[in-house]
Amino acid sequence: MANAKALRRDFESRRQFAAYLREQFPNASGDLASMPGGEQAARTALARFSPARYAATRNYLSGSVSRLSPYLRHGVLTLREVLENFKPVYKFVQELAWRDYWQRLYFEWGAGVWLDREEWKTGFRAEDYSDELPRDITDGVTGLACMDSFAKTLERDGYLHNHARMWFASYVVHFRRIKWQAGACWFLMHLLDGDPASNNLSWQWVASTFGGKPYIFNRENLERYTEGVYCAECPSRNACPFDKTYEQLSKELFPL
Amino acid sequence: MNSVAWVHDDALRHWWGQAPALYVFDDEKLRLENWSLKRIGFLYECLLELPLEIRRGDPVTEMLEFQEANQADAVITMDSPDPRLREQMHRLAAQIVPQRQFVALTGKLDLKRFSRFWAKAERLLLPLDTLKK
Repeated sequence: MANAKALRRDFESRRQFAAYLREQFPNASGDLASMPGGEQAARTALARFSPARYAATRNYLSGSVSRLSPYLRHGVLTLREVLENFKPVYKFVQELAWRDYWQRLYFEWGAGVWLDREEWKTGFRAEDYSDELPRDITDGVTGLACMDSFAKTLERDGYLHNHARMWFASYVVHFRRIKWQAGACWFLMHLLDGDPASNNLSWQWVASTFGGKPYIFNRENLERYTEGVYCAECPSRNACPFDKTYEQLSKELFPL
Repeated sequence: MNSVAWVHDDALRHWWGQAPALYVFDDEKLRLENWSLKRIGFLYECLLELPLEIRRGDPVTEMLEFQEANQADAVITMDSPDPRLREQMHRLAAQIVPQRQFVALTGKLDLKRFSRFWAKAERLLLPLDTLKK
């Protein structure tokens, strides 16, 4: 017989499930994501995925990405299992190896993944960056259609394409000069695949505290890989802060 | 030996055979990390497919109670790099069930940059004809 403290396992509908979760976890914000948890859903995602298509299209927001990361993060599937499920395709195997690499560093550093692993290579010191993530960013009301859409997608779906994560992190850290930890914390609240290893160390890679240089992007790059979907309707399209060459951006963002 | 399984966030698949198993939502962790309902719901849905009991509270307290109720000699679990889980494993004197590594690299590894790790890993992960020159 189940213990009196046992939480419920039977639900008639997803709606009833969500209502029960709200009762049990009253401090948790938002709603359920559309991506379902569990091994069955993971196997479906695995069966649908093509590593060859991934290798050819992965940088595009509409590209054929696996969306396996939430299942990998929670060990529903293992990296080894995913590896053995397909004929090896270089780019995909390398992406799996990135996750293994982050995990190995997490074993080594533990809570140290929250600390700057190296000095900043932006000309600024850690103290020059703000501690707080402003509301206009988290509410998706910066007036930049791309960033606002990424923020809303993250909050609704608990998932963002990796390229969008990189642009967003670069915007937060370099264009708004905010500590990567503030962005990383917010991502971990929402990402279904959020784990402090992949998440924080990727933010650090963008910031330059775990990498050779800061990662920045410009409008041309974003417009290309988003196929222009944001720029066309953006209220800031004629005053876009990203509409510059990399040389101009480097001078403006890292003047020291 | 009579064991109970402690199932945690990093290994939500059925790895424990017939042993009684428990997952505990760590209230303090959820408070500290401010998890949204999406994250909790996704994790909970993973749990619903597994033969285990679900509770919330302090994982160590609940797990010790579960161990006693099942008159088990030991707690088994899967390894994790998460420092909070590792500290809880230590308090439970949990035995780690071995699992197959993604890539079995031996000797001292240089993890300073991914490129150095990858240079060693790719030889074991990819057939020779797919390696980039």
